[in-house]
Amino acid sequence: MPTVEAHPDELRTLTGREDKDDDELRSDLFALGLEYEGETDDGAFELEFAPDRLDRLSVEGIARSLRYQYGEDRGVYVPRTNDPDWTIEVDPSVPSDRPYVTGAVARGVDLDDDALDSLIQLQEKLHATMGRRRVKGAIGIHDLTMLKGERLSEAAADGRTKSIRYVGVETDGDRFVPLDSERELTPGEVLEQHPTGREYADIVSAYERLPAIYDDIGLFSFPPVINGRRTEVSTDSRDLFVEMTGTDQRTIDEMLAIVCYALDARGATIEKVTVEYASGASGAHAGDSLVRPDLSTDEKRVTHEQIERTLGIDLTPEAVVDLLERSGLDGEPTDDAYDVMIPPYRVDVLHPQDLVDDVGRAYGFNELEPRYPDVGTVGGRHERSRLEGAVRNALVGLGFEETMNFHLIGRADNHDRMGVESGSEVVGGGEAATIAEPYSEEYEIVRTWALPSLMMVLEGNTHRSYPQNLAEIGLAAHLDDDENTGVAEWRTVAAVLARHDASYEDAKARLQALARTFGVELETPPTDHPTFLNGREAEVVIDGDSVGVIGEIHPEVLAEHDLELPVVAFEFRLDALR
Amino acid sequence: MRLPPPQVAVLEAASASEPRTTDTLAEEIGEDEATVAGAAFALDEAGLVDVTDRTETSVSLTDEGRAYADEGLPEVRLYEAALGVGADEEPASMGEVIGASSLDGGLVDIALSNYARKGYGSVERGELRADRSADPDEDSEARTLAELVSDADAVDPVDLDADVLDQLERRQLVERHDRAVRAVRLTDDGVTALMEGVEPAETADRLTSSMLTSGAWRETEFAEYNVAADAPEIRAGRAHVLRQVADRVTDVLVGMGFQEMEGPHVDADFWINDCLFMPQDHPARTHWDRFALESPERIDDLPEDLVERVERAHHDGAGEYGDGYNAPWDEDFSRALALRGHTTSLSTRYLSGYQVGELEPPQRYFSVEKAYRNDSIDNTHLLEFFQIEGWVMAEELSVRDLMGTFTEFYEQFGITDLEFKPHYNPYTEPSFELFGTHPETGDLIEIGNSGIFRQEMLDPLGVDCDVMAWGLALERLAMLITGAEDIRDLHGTLVDLDFLRNAEVIY
Repeated sequence: MPTVEAHPDELRTLTGREDKDDDELRSDLFALGLEYEGETDDGAFELEFAPDRLDRLSVEGIARSLRYQYGEDRGVYVPRTNDPDWTIEVDPSVPSDRPYVTGAVARGVDLDDDALDSLIQLQEKLHATMGRRRVKGAIGIHDLTMLKGERLSEAAADGRTKSIRYVGVETDGDRFVPLDSERELTPGEVLEQHPTGREYADIVSAYERLPAIYDDIGLFSFPPVINGRRTEVSTDSRDLFVEMTGTDQRTIDEMLAIVCYALDARGATIEKVTVEYASGASGAHAGDSLVRPDLSTDEKRVTHEQIERTLGIDLTPEAVVDLLERSGLDGEPTDDAYDVMIPPYRVDVLHPQDLVDDVGRAYGFNELEPRYPDVGTVGGRHERSRLEGAVRNALVGLGFEETMNFHLIGRADNHDRMGVESGSEVVGGGEAATIAEPYSEEYEIVRTWALPSLMMVLEGNTHRSYPQNLAEIGLAAHLDDDENTGVAEWRTVAAVLARHDASYEDAKARLQALARTFGVELETPPTDHPTFLNGREAEVVIDGDSVGVIGEIHPEVLAEHDLELPVVAFEFRLDALR
Repeated sequence: MRLPPPQVAVLEAASASEPRTTDTLAEEIGEDEATVAGAAFALDEAGLVDVTDRTETSVSLTDEGRAYADEGLPEVRLYEAALGVGADEEPASMGEVIGASSLDGGLVDIALSNYARKGYGSVERGELRADRSADPDEDSEARTLAELVSDADAVDPVDLDADVLDQLERRQLVERHDRAVRAVRLTDDGVTALMEGVEPAETADRLTSSMLTSGAWRETEFAEYNVAADAPEIRAGRAHVLRQVADRVTDVLVGMGFQEMEGPHVDADFWINDCLFMPQDHPARTHWDRFALESPERIDDLPEDLVERVERAHHDGAGEYGDGYNAPWDEDFSRALALRGHTTSLSTRYLSGYQVGELEPPQRYFSVEKAYRNDSIDNTHLLEFFQIEGWVMAEELSVRDLMGTFTEFYEQFGITDLEFKPHYNPYTEPSFELFGTHPETGDLIEIGNSGIFRQEMLDPLGVDCDVMAWGLALERLAMLITGAEDIRDLHGTLVDLDFLRNAEVIY
């Protein structure tokens, strides 16, 4: 879950509620779903929250939610925007893997250290969440005064415009000085030599050209990797240029809306930017001219019935409108429903049900009275689980201590240490379903039988008293082309008897008792199985089907498991006892 | 008076005037000492005899002590040899004296180390002098050895010189033994009982089949056992403690009208995530904790029309005002196989009608089955855990129904103050994390996640009524119930058998 840092002093200032002490703030934040996890060295709250309300990834966004909670604000707020002065020209050379760009200008922003930190945090958190680690969307924020873009343009009405250009360049293209560097580097060198470049190189490695943004002076941004030092934002910056590139226009536009709301809360005036896609540009907007940021509101209709049905309570239309406004929404009652206006930072709202959730949160879910649903159904266990229970009871009656082991196991434990070859015809010899890129040799595959798990439990408990009569009923699986998933899964019954005088007969006696309990016919014709001692191993045949194996564990396998006393064992498919 | 035969024998053999030890009594009446002691204690309990305990010390010679008693102490032999070569007149060389003494090996050292100590002479610069005034016949150590060798039993250690005995013990020539001696003396009541006549009663240690068939049990007195004593340990067969918790959960849910689900552990991402309206670029799906399979890689068949509907919901959302995700959709990823990260894959299979046919409301379903997370293992996280998954399908369900159902469920486990914290899941709205107070520590802890399934999830599955669902880890509940602090004690091959053997039963 995402975390965000917000200093309580900042929250007090931004909400205008200097009266709230830290404890009250913590409890108000919990009510918003922002859980206090601790504090940073300088006293900022570390807050964790579920990844839906990404507009709360900044202290400004959290303060906005608190203001609605406190009733300081009501209804939808949309920042005023000025007409565009700047244009982003999108060149046909832009890589088709990253065709989209958006942007905005923010003027007169009041950037002290805290505000700058918050802006940097918002940028990083948006990268990690909506931006999908910068793959889907990446943000660049620049000091506008450092950009030179003034030049004549025939397209502009007054004959002049300011522009920057989004283009595609070669790895050995123009040099620029990236952030945290003293040297001029080509984009290719950034990817090889700069720590940030190395971190994000995988995103652009398959691009046919590298994305770059130019002004009249030259390359100043290499999205999604790093900005140039020339336009670096500091606490002295008053006017900012925000650009975002990505693989999806809507996503970067939504990220931009969230950033613009945060800048607005810091006193900035938002100025629009024109995005002009060349007709030869790749992506869905070729030839289009977009004006950004798009701070237009969305509208969804939610019925009164849906609200009452979901919350299980009766509400008047006035109460619903009130609850909507307290959520930062506007609701217009119409025909037993509400046309709800949704501000652009609420990127989480996909469906009217999300508005019902807002109404419920504003009402207070914990105010609702629980009731047991008046719905009659008949309960019952699955047949397999009833059988498993009956076999477990029988095993316990025979004196076995049940173990519950992992279904995941190492190849060595499952096959090699048992003397069994993968792909052989014996019980446990099936080819295992295999995990891609396992982290540990102890957990590489799904076990093909349960006996290795029991041997491992014996191995780990040689200091405990004997006899150790252990059993397990659990999952085993192996590759099987006839199955839709390519894997045959079944429940297996495995048991071991470890004690100084254990013999084949002890295992056979118990297996016989099981067979008798379940009314099946048991035969144990001799067989060959590498885990067991020659001449003391048999196939388990139940009602004519070969379903398992029984015998004395081979001394070599015992030695492999550091066991110094005989072990007899059996394993067979649970469904054989049906 | 009738008493068991050993008690009669002891009573008759005991004397009122002098205490008699149990071993002498045992020898006299021909029983073993334990039986006599048992009878004596029973008689003591009845007030017929007094049993007294004291510790008796006896002394015996070690093999070395016995040898010296026969051949003489090494230092005495050295002295006699020294006299033999005239060392009382002139110092004699050590070699000469030792040669004459026929001492060898370790005995030489022993002789030399005791020679001067006991005043037989002196040893200096390889020369040995003998003190003429010393008298080997007066050697207290030698005399004590001689006394003990003739008849150790007749010697009471109290009569011996304690210093000499200590010295001999240090030299490891004698051993002292402590022995508890029980002595029995008749009391006045015992004397009276004997005068009035005591007869042996038939007693038996065990009830036998022949006693039952012959009826002899009627005439038999059964020996009393020490019923308070610990018996030898036996090991019971037993179900795993986690299984007991799972069974308990299952019982509760079945009692609440839930049917059990069943389905594959290795499943396509389609069933695990796509059907849950989880965008394909959701961090949880690309995250490293997913257990993707290398072999096999893809499922063979998915229901085509369902795949199409799910894809449409991802793109366009559901309903007139619905929006979808701006996320990539790749059917190849839908087909990719993984170990299920949650058992909600069973719920999607059942809700779709693919597993057991179309379901009409009302329905309740559950499972207590394994899910897999490629996470690091620590005391609260395992790679595999049991997930309790449950859902209710009905024409109309509200948040209050959800709260009522879960309140009821958790109350069965002693959690009565359930709190619902609004939460976010991609597949439910509204969503709640469930919190409850730990019955022992009093901490507020997260005990589940719940919500009402979204229309974007239910529409493609063909469900047009309400479904509410919840899930939680069984291990978390088990730790709550058992007080276990390390999940690894409960589950897996690292288990300590003694933990399982000593775990309290759950019911």
